[in-house]
Amino acid sequence: MSKRAGLHPNANSKTKSNISPLAKVQGLPLLLPGEDDDAYHEFFSRVRTAVNPVDIIDEMFVADVVSLEWEVLRWRRLKSNLMQTRGLEALGQFLRAHLDYYVHYQKYFEQDLAEILQDNLAEGQTEIDAQALAHKCARDEPDADDKVNQILAGINLDMDDILEPARARKAEELAHDYAQRKLGAIKLIDKLLAEAGLSIDTLMVRALPGELDKIERIDRLITVAETRRNAMLREIDRRHAVLSEALRRQVQEVEGEFEVVEKTPAATKSAA
Amino acid sequence: MTGDRKIRANRANAQASTGPKTERGRSHAARNALRHALSRPVYSDPVWSEEVEALAREIIGAGTNAEIQELARRIAEAQIDLRRVRYARHQILSQALSDPDYVSETMLGKKAALAIRILRRSDLDTPMPDEVMEFLSSKPEGPNKFATILADKARQLLALDRYERRAQSRRKFAIRAFDAAGRR
Repeated sequence: MSKRAGLHPNANSKTKSNISPLAKVQGLPLLLPGEDDDAYHEFFSRVRTAVNPVDIIDEMFVADVVSLEWEVLRWRRLKSNLMQTRGLEALGQFLRAHLDYYVHYQKYFEQDLAEILQDNLAEGQTEIDAQALAHKCARDEPDADDKVNQILAGINLDMDDILEPARARKAEELAHDYAQRKLGAIKLIDKLLAEAGLSIDTLMVRALPGELDKIERIDRLITVAETRRNAMLREIDRRHAVLSEALRRQVQEVEGEFEVVEKTPAATKSAA
Repeated sequence: MTGDRKIRANRANAQASTGPKTERGRSHAARNALRHALSRPVYSDPVWSEEVEALAREIIGAGTNAEIQELARRIAEAQIDLRRVRYARHQILSQALSDPDYVSETMLGKKAALAIRILRRSDLDTPMPDEVMEFLSSKPEGPNKFATILADKARQLLALDRYERRAQSRRKFAIRAFDAAGRR
C-alpha cells in the first residue's frame, strides 16, 4: 500500500451504495487495539436513535458525540486501571513485607521446593521421597534442612531463592483476589493492614505520587473530550431549536394555506 | 512609531535569522510539513477533494443556490480536515500500542546510561547484576504502557489537538452560516 493510501481511513471501507451514516461522515470508527467494534456500533445506534438526526449535519454531530463520549470512557477506564494497577503493586509490596511464613506461605514454599527436589533427585530417591523431604524442610525439621541445603548448594541455590518467590507468589495472589473482592482475601488483608496501622487508602496515597503526572495528563484528556462532547450537544440543541422554529414556521404556513383551502368551499356553500 | 535605528536593527536581526544552518537541521525542517501533511489544504489531494465534494453534495441536497453550495463545501472541507486530524492521532496511538516492544525514548536513554556506567566500572567478563538485567529488559505493560505512550507523544498530540480545535471551529461557524442562509 502506498503512503498516500494510508492517509485515507476510508480507502478500504464499504462501497458508497451501502455506506452507513457513521461511515459517511466519520469514516471507519477509530478504535484502538483491544476496543470492541460491536460495542461502539451499538453505542452509536443508541445515541443516533435518541438524537434522531434530521440531516447529514446532525449525523456529523452524532458521530462526534459518540466518538468523544467513547474517548471519555477510554480515558476514564485508563485512569482507573492505572490507579488500580499501581494500588495492587503497592499492596503486593506491603504483603511481601508483612506475610508470615508459618501462617501464610509455608505451603507455597513446600510446593516450590518439592518441584526443585523432584527435578534434582539423588540416586535411589523417588518423587514421593522428594515431597516428604520438602514437607519436613517446610516444617523446619533440622535434618531435613541440612539435606535440602546440601542439594540446593549443588545447584547453586539457597533456601532464600525459594522462600522469596514463594512469598511474592502468595502476595500477588492475595492482591489479585483482593481486587476481585474475594471475601477471604479482603478479611486477611484488612487484618494485616490494621495490624500495621494502615488502610488501603493510605497505601494508595503512598503509591500514587509517582503516577500523578500520568493521571493529570489523563484528566486533561478527559476534560478536553467532555468539553468537546458538550459543545457538540449544544450545537445539536441549537440546530434542533432552529430547525423546530423553521418547522413551526412551515407548519404555520401550511396551516395558513389549509385555512385558505377550507374557506373556499365554505364560502362557496354560503354563497350558494 | 518605530524609529530608524530600531528598523535597521530589526532588519539586521532578520538577515541573521535564516533558519536552520546545519545540513541535519535543514533536512529536519524540510520534513516538518510532511510529517502528517495536515497543513496542506484538502484540495491538494485528489482523494480528499473527492470526499469533500461528495460530502458537500450530501449536505446541499437538491436545488440550492450558489451561496448554499459554497457554505456546504466549507462544512465538508472542515469535516474532512477533522477526519484527517483524528486519523493522524489514531495512527500515532495505535502504532505505539500495537508495538509489543514499545519502550519510551526517555527510558531507553536511562537504560543506555546505566549500561554504560556499569560496563565502565566492571570488565566485560563480569555478568551484570540481576536487578540491572531486569531493569534493562523491562518494558511498560497494560495501562502503564498506554500512559507512557501518552506522555511520550504529548507534544505530537498537542499539535494535532490544535489542528482539531481549528477544524472544529471552522466547521461550527460554517454550519451556523449554512443554517442561517437556509432560513433566509
